[in-house]
Amino acid sequence: MQLNDTDLIIQAQKGNQNAFEELVYRYDRNVLSIALKYSNNEDDAKDLYQEVFIRVYRGIKNFRFQSEFSTWLFRITTNVCLTYKSRSKEHLKVSIDKDFDDEEHEFNTTKELVYDGSTPEEISSGANLGEIVNAAVESLSPKQRMTFVLKHYEGYKIREIAEMLNCKEGTVKKYLFDATKNLRKKLSPVYA
Amino acid sequence: MKHNEYKQLLQLSLFGELKSEEQVKLKEHLLICEECRTELEDQKNLLELISGKKKAAVDEEVLSAARYQLRGALRSERSNQNIFNSVADSIFQFFPSPLKFAFAGAAILIIGVLIGGILFNQSSQNEFIGQQNGDNRFASLSEDISISEVRFIDSDASDGEVEFTFQASRPVHLKGNVNDSQIQSVLTYAMLNEQNPGSRLNSINAMDTETPTQYDSDVKNALITVIMTDENPGVRREALKLMNKFPYDEAMKQTLLYVITNDTVSGLRIEALIGLKD
Repeated sequence: MQLNDTDLIIQAQKGNQNAFEELVYRYDRNVLSIALKYSNNEDDAKDLYQEVFIRVYRGIKNFRFQSEFSTWLFRITTNVCLTYKSRSKEHLKVSIDKDFDDEEHEFNTTKELVYDGSTPEEISSGANLGEIVNAAVESLSPKQRMTFVLKHYEGYKIREIAEMLNCKEGTVKKYLFDATKNLRKKLSPVYA
Repeated sequence: MKHNEYKQLLQLSLFGELKSEEQVKLKEHLLICEECRTELEDQKNLLELISGKKKAAVDEEVLSAARYQLRGALRSERSNQNIFNSVADSIFQFFPSPLKFAFAGAAILIIGVLIGGILFNQSSQNEFIGQQNGDNRFASLSEDISISEVRFIDSDASDGEVEFTFQASRPVHLKGNVNDSQIQSVLTYAMLNEQNPGSRLNSINAMDTETPTQYDSDVKNALITVIMTDENPGVRREALKLMNKFPYDEAMKQTLLYVITNDTVSGLRIEALIGLKD
């Protein structure tokens, strides 16, 4: 008989590694999917995935069943993703390759959208449409990007996103409205 | 209802988040407002364009690779915990119960100071060399860089060329004001990722200054993550103390409520209650 989440968590809290792995495998597709769509990079997504579950592993002893396990897990996922900028591989690579005194250097690794002047026809028939869309989504602020990913790509309800981000539904709506507005501004040459 | 409110309803309608009565109101408005009809078409086009990026399922290979890496990381996490626990247990058995807690705090502090001292001394001996120049792509790979995890993409040298990836790390000596965003980025990284609780504790304390400090927004997010997930109550306590210095907002309120309902340490629950009251 398959154990429910509560039983698995109790077992994991007692140090049962198999129970913890079983718990991971129940939810890890969703975590990886969010990480992939948020970071748009497989290596970064795998790092985010690992970071999330290491935090879950460290914190599971303190989990007291006051919320659903999935709510707690996705709250950690969004938090880890939102702090991703400061731990990204770009950041680490730059700290090795570039002098810290370089005033031009910024830790922000967000790619700027580069619209190369292609006509809408060229774009719609070419392979760079996906890249332009990705770059536009990447240019959003972390919270706008996160709410946008959770809503449009993962299909969560605004109420669920508010729970994950620890904020009010109104705040989530604001992030979504702003994200849409910014994407329209960036992508209008492509679809208008 | 004002025109702008209809525009918001329009977006919520596309998100599939409208109540039925709001949907009726919007439909009625769209019949008489050309501007909103154009807006609706425009947003539909945008969402259609972006929906092309929706991926059905996670690639099984990527998932397998992520699970494999996680298993390795968990093994390392467990072995670190075992070492820490066995050292702590063997020391604690010499002390009567009431002294254990006082000793735990002192031990963490001493370990943190020692490691901080060791790291500081090491880094001061290793000066950061200049950045790579255009002519020599590997100028920055000097003797103070440690190279690991060399993986070959092409090891066949028959055409005179090989290709591989590797991890390169170098000691960095960084000195600066705690208001500096680069300093904050490194400390934020350390408070989230350092395996040693003393180092995580020191990273948080380094940012907890008496003078007014401008914090990067990432610092607060990281503190929230630490408060919710760090295994060490001392680290969680310091993170909570520092977070309480930030302007109060919804995220902080939710974090404090989380601590009150979830944290196993009564002292932390009391501190969260006081933070919420203040």
